[in-house]
Amino acid sequence: MEALTAEVVVNTIKELGSMVLYIILGTIILEILVYLVLGKIFKSKYTLPYMLMIAAIFGIAMLVIYPIGYEVRLAFTNMSLRHFRSYTLSWAQGLKNFGLIFSEPVLKQIRFFPLLFRTLLWTAVNLVFHLAGGLGLAILLNRQMRGRGFYRALLVFPWAVPQIIAVLAWKGEFHYEYGFINVMLKSIGMQPIQWMISPFWNFAAACITNIWLGIPFMMIIILGGLQSIPLEFYDAAEIDGASRWQQFRNITLPLLKPVLTPAVVLGIIWTFNNFNVPYMINANELETTDILVTALFRSAFEYHRYGFSAAFAIIIFIVLFIIASVYIRITHGLKGAYE
Amino acid sequence: MKNKNKQSNIYRFFISPSRGDSPFKRMAIHLTLIIACAIAVYPVLRIISVSLRPGDRLLSTSLAIIPKDASLYSYYRIIFEKPFLLWLWNSLAITVTTAFIGLILASTSAYAFSRWKFPGRVPGLFFLLTTQMIPAAMLVVPIYILAVRFQLINSYRGLALAYSVSSVPFSIWILKGYYDTIPRELEEAAKIDGASQMGTFFRIILPLSTPALAIVFLFNFMMAWNDWIMARIMLQRENMFTWPLGIWTLAGQFRVEWGAFTAASILVAVPVMALFLYSSKWLISGLTLGSVKG
Amino acid sequence: MKKFLTVLLVLVMLMGIVSIASAKVNLVLWTKEGEEALDWNKSLIEEFMKANPNITIELVKKTNVEVLREDFLTASLAGAAPDILWTVSDHAGPFVAADIVEAVDTLFDLNIYVDSAMDAVKLEGKYWGIPISNGNQLMLLYNKKLIAEAPKDTDELLAVGKKLTTGGNYALVWNQTEPFWLVPWLGGFKGKVFAEDGVTPTLNTPEMIATLKFLHDMKFDAKIVPPECDYDAADTLFKEGKAAMIINGDWSISGYVSVLGDDLGVARIPKVSATGEWPKPYTSGVYFMLTKGISGDKLKAAQDFIGFVSSKEKQLEGVKLLNRLPAVKEALEDPLITENPILKGSADQMVVGTPMPTVLEMRCNWDSMKPEMLAVLADTKSPEDAAKLMQSSAESCIKSLE
Repeated sequence: MEALTAEVVVNTIKELGSMVLYIILGTIILEILVYLVLGKIFKSKYTLPYMLMIAAIFGIAMLVIYPIGYEVRLAFTNMSLRHFRSYTLSWAQGLKNFGLIFSEPVLKQIRFFPLLFRTLLWTAVNLVFHLAGGLGLAILLNRQMRGRGFYRALLVFPWAVPQIIAVLAWKGEFHYEYGFINVMLKSIGMQPIQWMISPFWNFAAACITNIWLGIPFMMIIILGGLQSIPLEFYDAAEIDGASRWQQFRNITLPLLKPVLTPAVVLGIIWTFNNFNVPYMINANELETTDILVTALFRSAFEYHRYGFSAAFAIIIFIVLFIIASVYIRITHGLKGAYE
Repeated sequence: MKNKNKQSNIYRFFISPSRGDSPFKRMAIHLTLIIACAIAVYPVLRIISVSLRPGDRLLSTSLAIIPKDASLYSYYRIIFEKPFLLWLWNSLAITVTTAFIGLILASTSAYAFSRWKFPGRVPGLFFLLTTQMIPAAMLVVPIYILAVRFQLINSYRGLALAYSVSSVPFSIWILKGYYDTIPRELEEAAKIDGASQMGTFFRIILPLSTPALAIVFLFNFMMAWNDWIMARIMLQRENMFTWPLGIWTLAGQFRVEWGAFTAASILVAVPVMALFLYSSKWLISGLTLGSVKG
Repeated sequence: MKKFLTVLLVLVMLMGIVSIASAKVNLVLWTKEGEEALDWNKSLIEEFMKANPNITIELVKKTNVEVLREDFLTASLAGAAPDILWTVSDHAGPFVAADIVEAVDTLFDLNIYVDSAMDAVKLEGKYWGIPISNGNQLMLLYNKKLIAEAPKDTDELLAVGKKLTTGGNYALVWNQTEPFWLVPWLGGFKGKVFAEDGVTPTLNTPEMIATLKFLHDMKFDAKIVPPECDYDAADTLFKEGKAAMIINGDWSISGYVSVLGDDLGVARIPKVSATGEWPKPYTSGVYFMLTKGISGDKLKAAQDFIGFVSSKEKQLEGVKLLNRLPAVKEALEDPLITENPILKGSADQMVVGTPMPTVLEMRCNWDSMKPEMLAVLADTKSPEDAAKLMQSSAESCIKSLE
């Protein structure tokens, strides 16, 4: 059995230490290059900012741009198990791949548009409950009362627990015989639910888990936002005779918007692309619980359709990009960020 | 001074006093909160109870939190019979390195985005946002191939580099937002006094940004600490596994070693959650950066 | 400076000479095994390395067969593949299709191995693996304290089963989530998953419908199995004495022996009364596979190691440790097996088994059968609909393999 020994510790430090040295060395070289090229040759006044960013730019180029480029190229091939070492790379093959995504099932039965619809449904359901739950809890917490800190600390638990642990634990709770929901249902005389076999209930199980995981994040953000609204506004409104509901609609909501919009955008992106929850709750690999990204993973790693899945990935990205852009446009939400 | 008060501004709570609320209403609110807390906490309690059960038994219909024949055997087993401590060490080494490198890369780049309108700035910001939208599964194979070419597989270096860079876009967004709220007059004043541009960065901006820097460090840490998919690709030998991979191996194809799995989960989750709760004040303020004007 | 450089040069040359002389060969072996089997891996390697000091074998454990398959493919893609694999026969399909393993016809004497074991890895006219152990078949394991003798056919099974299933105890448990447990019964109803050519799926057949109906009725009419049961649950129920019989594979025997001791009985899965046929579980085994392109010293070292494990002595060692049947003909005839009731029962079952197809298309069959089988067992689809969907899923899957 491999164990943690002093030797291992020393090795780690040596390895990481040398890595840091290499990074520093590399950065210095890059900085000198930028300084010389931009500063001396082009005499640009933007030399300093570029020098500040060059290390990050280099890293992102390697880690993000190169892989994307590789995937784009892969999308124009027919690489799969049968064509593993030698595959064809052509425009025609690429067009064929993109066409196949829409015309044929992506996995065994499931086709693209039902998958897209289900992903949108998944995103919508989760976000609605995240917002409603987060808003409700934040409003309740935003008052002077005993135990406030205690409640807040406990309610943050789902966010604090590492996601893998939480997801696998919830998967255990959806076990037919021994999960606590079914045990409780049985104890009150109701029929236990077949969480892992029924398409509807498996999807519901994934939603329940993700909602549980996501409410604290929204709650905290909204709480922060609520706490930045001066009380005077509410006082003034009350003097003017506004009801609680009117106060909420006309003061709270608009003033929460600048806080909510980035949170919702992030929420849309993270939920749409959430891999861990739908993948792991789906113990029996039901295609009816897959969303776009889990189907993508399966088509690449379980079906080995590398070329096809690269094209698929590009489509998914484009879809999400459109959705996020539309949302940002509609809400003018990120105005401040670009200034 | 305006910026000294910045900190207390954020901590000033505009909480609605529960004036004039009937005791009934107050009780209802407490009840709701208690139920919500129970839902939030129960799954974690279940993990604890499975970890205390002797034998690898998830399978028991008792809902008791502390089982009747509770034993710490699973904890003993996970620490001494499995390379659990090794996994924790691997995670710790990689995560700490990552958090630092990512922070350094992001803090300098965010400064550039905040203070200069260089060509490519707006597209750059937009690009950083869109990187969040890329499905991780898309990048996994090319990154693996790249890592093999540079011999970064099965090493601390490879994963640390990957994590450092992948946390940079998000960190830049947060730090830039925070830097934007620091008025330029401060830097102007310092420059008049003879400081260089970079001097102001180190002596004025950075010290004022400690809450944001702490948050970014924390986010980087959490992201690297909890990651599974990148580690799965870059680490293929069990002696290099980080704790998510380690725990995943306990959930075998047919047989899940529930005792070991839950015990390991608790041992990992407890410090993480303690850290989280401890820093939750900062997290709240960090996430509302930009919305609190002045 | 000049002197320093000369000394350095000489040292480097000396090191080069020394390294050629010692000619250490280093092999990397990936294994899918865990627990006791992994320990056997380690002891085999240790023993071999002691006898061959110039060969080192590095053992890398892969969490499970899926991980091994995924990692081997990505590693081959990047040029970082290991030298030898210790894995399961159905990996031959994908690896041969991707052209990343070596054919073994000319590298070993294949006559010493059991025929059915070699047939399992025969693809495109060549052989692609060396068997280590054979079997992996499902069989009927029973608790003699709860049921004295195993039922001979399904009518008896249902009759006896109804009496045994009371108050939280079940007559029979099996992993209701994997089609691997369906195929023996399919064989019993005289069905097959492939047509004669071995690559065209034949899932929408009266035999499949009859099989699905049988499994459905066993659960909903006779009610002798639990409503929802995965591998874990079945295993635990049997170990806790809450199930009289379990259908499980040879890998689970040692676990049950340690809990039930002499009370463990092994028998064939009961004959299907409707057809009079014994169910035909799939047999497969654990195999060595060689990475494509292995040559020279590494190939020789690999051949030596594989020959070592194929010796009768080592084969019988594996039998003793793991309760798996050997793949070498000589070892199969040893009294160690013929006189052990459990191993005898296991061999008895294997005799009526059928080799598991390892072609690439088989994956499509597995993936197509699984959700439909689950639906029938959840009573959400009729056997007829399920069989139809199985066939169409398999066909679209095979189309996508192009």
